[in-house]
Amino acid sequence: MHISSLRASAIAVAGVSALLLSGCTGGAPTTGQDDDVVRYLIEQPEDASAVQALQDRLDGFTADSGVKVEVEAMPFDTMRTVLQTQLRSGEGPDVFNWGSGPGFGGVLAEAGLLYDLTDAYAEYDWPIYDFAKERVSFDGTLYGVPGEMETVGLFYNADLLAAEGIDVPESVADLEAAAVRLADAEIVPIAASDQEGWQGGHLLSMVLSSRVGSEGMDALVAGETSWDSPDVVASLQTWQDFLDAGQLPEFPTSLSYDGANALFYSGDAAMVPTGSWLISEIDDNVDFEVGYIPFPAEDGAGIFAGGLGSGPMISAGTTKPDAALQLVDYLASPDHGQWMVENLSVIPPQPIEADDLDVSPLFRQVLDDTAALSEGTGDFGYNIDVLMTDVFNEAMLDGMAAILSGQTGAAEVAASLQAAAEQ
Amino acid sequence: MTLGIPAAVTAAAEPPAARDRRHRPRRPALDTPRATRRAQTRLGIALVAPAMVLVVTFFLVPLVSAIYYAFVDFNGVNPNPSFVGLANFAELFQDAALWPALCNNAIWIVLGTAGPIVIGLVLALLMWGVGRSGALYRVAFFLPYVLPQVAVGVVWGWIYDPVRGWLNQALEIIGLGALRTGWLGNPDTALYAVLATAVWATSGFVFVILLAALRNVDTELVDASRLDGANTIQRLWFIVLPQIMPVFLMVTTITLVGGFSVFDIIFVMTGGGPAGASDVLGTVAYSEAFQLNRISYGTTIALVITLLAIPFAVCLNRLQRRLSLQGTGA
Repeated sequence: MHISSLRASAIAVAGVSALLLSGCTGGAPTTGQDDDVVRYLIEQPEDASAVQALQDRLDGFTADSGVKVEVEAMPFDTMRTVLQTQLRSGEGPDVFNWGSGPGFGGVLAEAGLLYDLTDAYAEYDWPIYDFAKERVSFDGTLYGVPGEMETVGLFYNADLLAAEGIDVPESVADLEAAAVRLADAEIVPIAASDQEGWQGGHLLSMVLSSRVGSEGMDALVAGETSWDSPDVVASLQTWQDFLDAGQLPEFPTSLSYDGANALFYSGDAAMVPTGSWLISEIDDNVDFEVGYIPFPAEDGAGIFAGGLGSGPMISAGTTKPDAALQLVDYLASPDHGQWMVENLSVIPPQPIEADDLDVSPLFRQVLDDTAALSEGTGDFGYNIDVLMTDVFNEAMLDGMAAILSGQTGAAEVAASLQAAAEQ
Repeated sequence: MTLGIPAAVTAAAEPPAARDRRHRPRRPALDTPRATRRAQTRLGIALVAPAMVLVVTFFLVPLVSAIYYAFVDFNGVNPNPSFVGLANFAELFQDAALWPALCNNAIWIVLGTAGPIVIGLVLALLMWGVGRSGALYRVAFFLPYVLPQVAVGVVWGWIYDPVRGWLNQALEIIGLGALRTGWLGNPDTALYAVLATAVWATSGFVFVILLAALRNVDTELVDASRLDGANTIQRLWFIVLPQIMPVFLMVTTITLVGGFSVFDIIFVMTGGGPAGASDVLGTVAYSEAFQLNRISYGTTIALVITLLAIPFAVCLNRLQRRLSLQGTGA
């Protein structure tokens, strides 16, 4: 009896241990806590109320389709850090918005973490522009629906420039002259920031796009032109010169993106280099007139660096592929695209009836610019980071941080870019 | 047999080892029925099994797995990664990012260990004689340690903000505006700014542990040394520290080993930047494994961190145990 009670206790201990371990290690991979709910993860928008607006919108989708959707928002930097880990662990969202191109969705597709949407494109016939579809293709498959169309350039405080008697810059020389006058007036000429690191890619993209044009960018991305060529070195040197001349904030690598925008909103900075995604926040936060221009070229106005923002993708590990596909079909529909333009100031890469929309002049300008891009009549550069590999992006972001913190020179960074491109 | 010599004298003349052997008590197991001994063995195994299962699952299996990954080229996807032998280890010696990171680890280990120990000890000595009213201070100093490192990093990030952070503003107000800088974005200050935050967060832990140890110090010895003319430093060095040495070493071990594995607070505050200026082995390993999909190389770096930390931890642990067995300390 003594021994049998011991045996019983041993079995009990082993049982508890097994339960403990199964609790600790989890069971089979699952992407959702609730079998009825599709988890939809998006980047935290600039306007926090947009998350609720989207959830309300998707509640309507739920009413029609019966598919429950739970919208979750996460800051971009956090998402960049944890998304891949979440997807690998099987605990990630079913559907999530993420960037296209090799540096973003391409990495996930290569890692086998994305659901193949090639058949879904054929089945649902989403009206996505062809150039945008190319950005979400990997190894002959389509892994996502390309997201919002964006441009990257310079927002400027038109009232402040006028008050200082400065015309809107139409060339690099104009911009440099304006920066000198603004700095003399103790106004930060260009509120460039790089604390988070990702801004460096945009800073280089906008200068380089204007300097070499879209064909030059094509050649660089395709590897036909070297990344340590004189144009790349000169583009990097542009930011080093602005820094050395005191025409950027005092410590750009210590300044957060929000901090730089705050300098612009408060009138302490005359220009802020960023993308069209900021327009709704600018409209909400400033009471002065704001203009938006490409970073100027040596010999003219320059071109915007264009890119595609985040769009919906499905986790390869989802346990609800049908419901996830229904959601993506809804998100890619023209009706939802129209709603995004009107309510979120987001421009999807598909034809939009925008003539009658009541939007701000700034947003109207971007709508016209992106329409020109989609019609093939506009010339746009590229956001480099979405087109290049992770290794290259790391070299680029580290290189820009090194320049903006005075650690290295332009030629050295250009050499590291070429070395990374060759890997 | 004893030749008339009293037993006590014989025992005293014998070597201690022989005496111990003779007087060693019989093993109780010999008096215990075999069935009971088996039952006791089973019970022992049953009691140890859960802990062993946990050790195997959460320590040995990951360790063996890490060793396996260090010898293959795994990118996180390929289920059959190719065997690369020592290539990952060889790459460590050619990795330009690794040596500055190791140097930063060394700085972190030295300052990140010495700082909290000194501050915590000073605070503990100041609070030693304080009665109930000291509870408020204990809570106040300990609070940073229980806060999530992420929250600590975010809040200190605001303090270090170059434009609106109060550190630069305070420097400006007190006439030290020349010292203003972008603390987290300046390659010369980034590591030390994060380190200062970590020291702030850890000192409270050291303080509370050492204060508890001081409660057990024999104050009669301290008073006697005072009567003998020992000054404050002498009393601390010769009377107090030896008595709290095991606890002191335990705290030193924890903070020191933490210096090898530091990751979270640096990741939150600078991400290892600007341009790798505040990178440590932990952030480099993370970047390689999860940002560049070089799981094997990242794992190799993590193994190196472990291998570097083990000798320090073992030596300090043994020293602490020896002092405890000698009866030294609180």
